[in-house]
Amino acid sequence: MSILLLLVPISLVLLGIAIGAFVWAVRRGQFDDLDTPAIDILRDDPLPAPRNDVSEEPRDAD
Amino acid sequence: MDAALPLRKARPAEIGACHHCGEALTPDAVRESNRAFCCHGCAAASTWIREAALGDYYNLRTSPAGRVQADAADFGAWDRDVVLAEHSRVVPGGREITVLTDAMRCAACAWLIDRALRRQAGVLDAGANAVTGRVVVAWDPQRVALSTLMQRLAALGYRPWLATGEAREQAQRRERRRWLLRLGVAGLGAIQAMMFAEALYLDTAQQMPVATRDFFRWITFLVSTPVVFFSGWPFLEGMWRELRGRRLGMDTLIAGSTLLAYFASFVETLRGGTHVWYDAAVMFVLLLLVARMFEQRARGIASAQIDALARARPALALRERHDGSVEQVPLGDIARDDVLRIAAGEAVPADGVLLDHAASFDEALITGESTPVRREAGEPALAGSICREASARLRVVRTGADTRLSQLTRLVEQAQSTRPQLARAAERVAGGFVVALLLCAVATFAWWHVHEPARALEVTLALLVVSCPCALSLAIPSALTTAHGALARIGVLGVREDALSALARVDRVVLDKTGTLSNGRPQLDSVATFEGMAPSAALSIAAALERGSMHPLAQAFAHVEDELIAHGVHAVAGSGIEGDVDGARWRLGRADFAGSRADDGALWLGDGTRAFARITVRETMRDDARDAIIALRDAGVAVELCSGDSVNAVANFARQVGIETFHARQTPEQKLARVRAAQSGGEVVAMVGDGLNDAPVLAGADVSLAMAEGAALAQRAADFVVTSPSLLRVPQAIVLARRTQRIVRQNLAWALGYNVLAIPLAAMGHVTPWIAALGMAGSSLLVTLNALRLGRRERNERRAA
Repeated sequence: MSILLLLVPISLVLLGIAIGAFVWAVRRGQFDDLDTPAIDILRDDPLPAPRNDVSEEPRDAD
Repeated sequence: MDAALPLRKARPAEIGACHHCGEALTPDAVRESNRAFCCHGCAAASTWIREAALGDYYNLRTSPAGRVQADAADFGAWDRDVVLAEHSRVVPGGREITVLTDAMRCAACAWLIDRALRRQAGVLDAGANAVTGRVVVAWDPQRVALSTLMQRLAALGYRPWLATGEAREQAQRRERRRWLLRLGVAGLGAIQAMMFAEALYLDTAQQMPVATRDFFRWITFLVSTPVVFFSGWPFLEGMWRELRGRRLGMDTLIAGSTLLAYFASFVETLRGGTHVWYDAAVMFVLLLLVARMFEQRARGIASAQIDALARARPALALRERHDGSVEQVPLGDIARDDVLRIAAGEAVPADGVLLDHAASFDEALITGESTPVRREAGEPALAGSICREASARLRVVRTGADTRLSQLTRLVEQAQSTRPQLARAAERVAGGFVVALLLCAVATFAWWHVHEPARALEVTLALLVVSCPCALSLAIPSALTTAHGALARIGVLGVREDALSALARVDRVVLDKTGTLSNGRPQLDSVATFEGMAPSAALSIAAALERGSMHPLAQAFAHVEDELIAHGVHAVAGSGIEGDVDGARWRLGRADFAGSRADDGALWLGDGTRAFARITVRETMRDDARDAIIALRDAGVAVELCSGDSVNAVANFARQVGIETFHARQTPEQKLARVRAAQSGGEVVAMVGDGLNDAPVLAGADVSLAMAEGAALAQRAADFVVTSPSLLRVPQAIVLARRTQRIVRQNLAWALGYNVLAIPLAAMGHVTPWIAALGMAGSSLLVTLNALRLGRRERNERRAA
């Protein structure tokens, strides 16, 4: 049963890490908006993202 | 005689809808390559989106964008330091501000705003949230002015408004995050505690060495402590509040049971007793926290989306110094007896008394009255009203939270925060239940203490846990919350929570015509000509006359293409317009004015003595008005049309949309009387209006729905605000409300039945605390899942549609 003395602390450490990660994520605002990011990944920005008001490369998506 | 057949075909459905905002196109639509737009604002927005390679927006969106207002507002004042100080905060490399916008309809809008803002040089970060309608922008004031960014937003159709101050926004965000943290800690901790507890439960033959057992108990104690005290804090706080108010409520029972389980386990751990119940305590906290979270989220979304107060606040106020010069001050600095100057088109920052001369104010936000009100010097001007025409001076009487606007907003907030009557009733029942239960627990404890002292504590605890009426208390809120969430997704915002049960019982719907069944845009119906005039010629002349006037009917003629130009057009109040076309004098208007005939409600073209053409104009029906009426009838609801318009117009319209019962020439009082009459006949009446002239009827009906084009605060007087342009949402909402009612009944039956069965069993000692916790949790879960069905099926229906 002495293996418990190793396993239980490990599980506690993992729990601590999980809670820490969760706290970090909440503080960083990861859960503030659950709808928009879902469609973020559907399309990528064209890589040379124009930084100006009007881009020089009109790329029609349709 | 009906010579204008092509016009009849010119229905919006056939012309098409604006590529950007999806509004039905008027014939003067802007056309660019193969796309058509309702206005230049939309066309410009769409061009920009495509040129910025953001055309994916049109593929991603699930609902059309809002119409782009051509008259872009001036955001120059937002660049001033005083505004930035109040509304933004310093972040590394620049500043950050939260603005509101009401035009975000779906996640794709948020996607577009994110991308559009990030393209601008000097923007550090941008995040839009379609659910709360908020956009957070971080920018470098050295490189780009805030007003430029806001102009960009407005040009895309998302007119920004200043939120009610950065401090409040931050506080709301912190509150939301704290709840999430509590939930996360409860979830992670409870699962771990359950794992350890499981090890103890599986030791059925009591073979585990005492040292190992105690080790597990102490570990479980360690893990469950933060769950009980950090995650469960809202309940502990609630219990404290209830005890101080000398009443017993849900929180007392929840916190009481949790603390009892926790401390009893602690005592057992210390003295090496037979059982611990940490798992019951933590599961209890977790499940109830989830339920609370649901409730809060829906409420937060509903109130965030219609934040009327934010729009009524100008960025800055112009204050007169004693020497007569003017300074710009933030709203917080305004004090009583200050003299303020308000430019034309600006919002009034505080309640005051007009000085010098009369001015007219648009009080739509406060009273719902859309026409400006004229105020003489010495009369009050209200904060939130918009100064029209000329600028005004006023002496401040009330500021900040004392203004009429703030009072109104508070009233609405109060109404929103009061819990629905149904939920309150359940809470009262639960309150009585708590008392009965506590007595029952004491009796059980006493009985067992006499007969079998060793099990007394365990049985009492099992009784308390198994019977906790959390399923009972969850039954209604979980269903209501899910229903409100589902409604919000289809574009019906519940303002008053009570209204859902009234909506479910509706058996008569009274509809207003203008703005509800129709979209308020006039359209040519028929042209009849006399004296040998060709219909096309008559239309050309009429169009030329109308083009020179600002008459609302002018829209109906906007698509008639010809080169005729009218000169010297002037309007004759209450009669029509008059002007020279091709060297002849023409009159367009009432029959007696244009052609000296008896007025019949149609538009006549003539020279003052002879009539040449009779033109009828009708309102365009909302695209799906017909379907909505059919759906309402299918739901077994009687439909009736009440309008202030003339008999002919109303009868025509009623025939078009398929309504048999209609009443024309109705004043608001008469409409209200009709509603009252139906109510006294035992019917539950729903009123659908646009929230302006229908305000008294909306208030008098059992349940009221306002179409979103109405005024903000008038909308808040209604029970539901329909933000979707589709009238089909009304029958859908009624069906959903009925389903909600059914689910509430199922939930209540289950929760009551469960308690009635479980309590005697527990009192007799047949239930161990962990089975009790399992039963309680399972019962709560069942009730919650049952409620969640409301949201899910609605989504499927939408997808199928």
